[in-house]
Amino acid sequence: MILRRKTISGVDQRAKEAYFTASQGELIWSRFKGNRTAMIAAYALVLLILMGLFAPFLSPYNPTIAGRDRDYENGAPQIPKFWDENGFSARPFIYATERERSIATNFRWVVKENRDERLYVRFFVRDWSYKLFHIDWDLPGRIFDIDFALIRSDLHLFGVEGGKMHLFGTDASGKDIFGRTLHAIWTSLAVGTLGVLISFVLALIIGGVAGYFGGWIDSVLQMITDAVRTVPSIPLFMALAAFMPDHWNSETRFFFISIILGVIGWPTLARRIRTHLLTERTQEYVLAAELSGASSSHIIRRHLLPSFTSYIIVDLMISFPYMVRSETALSFIGLGLKDPVNSLGALMQNVSKADVLLNYQWYFIPVIFFVALVLAFVFVGDGLRDAADPYSGTKK
Amino acid sequence: MSQFIQFVMTRAFLALVTLLTVSLIVFTLMELVPGTCAERYLAFKNTQGSQITIADIAAEERRLGLDRPFIERWGKWVGNVFFRGEFGDSCILRLDINQLLADKFWISLGICMAALILSYMIAVPVGIVAASSNNAVANNSLRFVSYLGLALPNFLLALIIMLFSTVFFGDSLTGLFSKEYRDAAWSWAKFGDFLSRAWLPIFILGWSATAFALQTVRALMLDEIGKLYVTAAAARGVTGSRLLWRYPARHALGPVINSLGFDLNRIFNELPIVALILTLTEAGALLFESLARSNDQQLAGAIIFLLTASIVLLNFVTDIMLALLDPRVRRGMMG
Repeated sequence: MILRRKTISGVDQRAKEAYFTASQGELIWSRFKGNRTAMIAAYALVLLILMGLFAPFLSPYNPTIAGRDRDYENGAPQIPKFWDENGFSARPFIYATERERSIATNFRWVVKENRDERLYVRFFVRDWSYKLFHIDWDLPGRIFDIDFALIRSDLHLFGVEGGKMHLFGTDASGKDIFGRTLHAIWTSLAVGTLGVLISFVLALIIGGVAGYFGGWIDSVLQMITDAVRTVPSIPLFMALAAFMPDHWNSETRFFFISIILGVIGWPTLARRIRTHLLTERTQEYVLAAELSGASSSHIIRRHLLPSFTSYIIVDLMISFPYMVRSETALSFIGLGLKDPVNSLGALMQNVSKADVLLNYQWYFIPVIFFVALVLAFVFVGDGLRDAADPYSGTKK
Repeated sequence: MSQFIQFVMTRAFLALVTLLTVSLIVFTLMELVPGTCAERYLAFKNTQGSQITIADIAAEERRLGLDRPFIERWGKWVGNVFFRGEFGDSCILRLDINQLLADKFWISLGICMAALILSYMIAVPVGIVAASSNNAVANNSLRFVSYLGLALPNFLLALIIMLFSTVFFGDSLTGLFSKEYRDAAWSWAKFGDFLSRAWLPIFILGWSATAFALQTVRALMLDEIGKLYVTAAAARGVTGSRLLWRYPARHALGPVINSLGFDLNRIFNELPIVALILTLTEAGALLFESLARSNDQQLAGAIIFLLTASIVLLNFVTDIMLALLDPRVRRGMMG
């Protein structure tokens, strides 16, 4: 309706021309930009991904046991301040803390902050050294061992002089929860990406073969797909993860978990690809290619797949939060990634203790990031789906 | 009528084929778990003080039939399950799995079905009303809530509720029975006690299921509500909830029946995690126990198979229901 009114009035001839000559990608992008919720979610998502990517730079302390703060275990978050009863300071500060154990504290370590001693926040400080964009795999088998880093540095965005600052507090062994959360976002994203990629490849092969050849091959593959889809996936994950020996190192576990996620996640996408191919393969352009002597793999790759790339991208985006969620669930019940690795699920595992619920609520901060990450993915996925659907505008 | 029986038979056959495939998957999984039942049994004997040798393990494997080829063992397992309803003995506990599971499995299934029913009791009316209302604020907040069902993990919800109840009522609400009923036989009093505790897992399991169901119902309703027959009915003077329920809702709810099986699947996914947090003593917890702690492949296989079998059964029932309710489906299926 709106569209027609514009054309009748004849304004903006150039915009109309741009609309009709735009590529599919441009059309999707312009529709996506119009969706405010999806755009906000997209910004949040990019922000989260960047935070994960530059986690070592942003986190002032090493998130592993090497960076623990012995004197501040189970410490509360320290929020930088600009003023207190002793006056104003242009440079934000936190208070120094002391630990004491005496008869007054019932012989337990109690952390007290000393409000007279200020620690000032500094920017671009040098602390623990790290590698950015690095790959350091130690898998079974020598050929898979890779150690590659683009940037080595020890520069960090912020820190305090003469002490340590823990924005989100510390955990039971004194590790900085802020740093752990940032690193965990990256790990969870990486597991999800790898899982999505693996399931994508499997879905392409299985769905592609079933949809292209049809007939009995299709029936058999459909039967298998349906059977895999019926089995509840978390019990299946659990069974596969129980297979993982305890002595595996964290990288191997990481890859194994991603592979499990991928191996179980393919059926939904495979089904969609199959349905699409079944309708497309009877079209004339496929017949034309066949008559010109093109091989089946050539037709699948060059003619059929490009016809629904946008749908595949949307589907991948939508399946992403499920992957992240499954990883979290697995790690949460102790069958996925384990504590020295910083994944969101591993961090959330600490939350489930009653002690934490009552005394150390800052353990919950990673959960907020998890919820934000999943929500961002879901909204972006939804926005993309609406944008990729050429009829979404006319429906409403 | 004969056509309908033919349709039911075809569906039953397909369900059976799915079950067979599933049993193959589950059995293969059980084989993947490191170690065999024989080793596990003898390892247990070893801790009791008796010396064991490699020959003992081999003898035990022969006794359990573990030296037979894979297909033969699978056939035997499937045969026992299908014709006699026997899952064999648990590897670790040395108990008949049927005995071990009986009550626990029905409790789990009951809880999950209750969660499923609860979620649709909320989702159907709310979804239908949401689809027909033009209130942007209400619609957007509803959308946000249903996304939160995906993003807010169930265990977190469970933890929050537990925290509140511990602080305010002094009872953590965990477990399925009070102390005095834990080992008692089933009676009305025990059932009442069970209900007074089961509402929490039912609510938690129903929470994300409701979110998904809401999405489905609303989307299907939106598709139907703009169609011409609805406008025609409105033009004839049918208005309000009568219009909604008599025309678009009837069409929109057909596919919803179809998706029940997948919703049950999703609820089963959450079950082990919720069971773990609320320390429930039912099949979900047993599954977790047998997989994460004791590597009891027989027991784990039995539970996964039973869970899947109930999904297949539900799918079968909903297919028949759909065919009964919707003549188009009936005709389409029977060609």
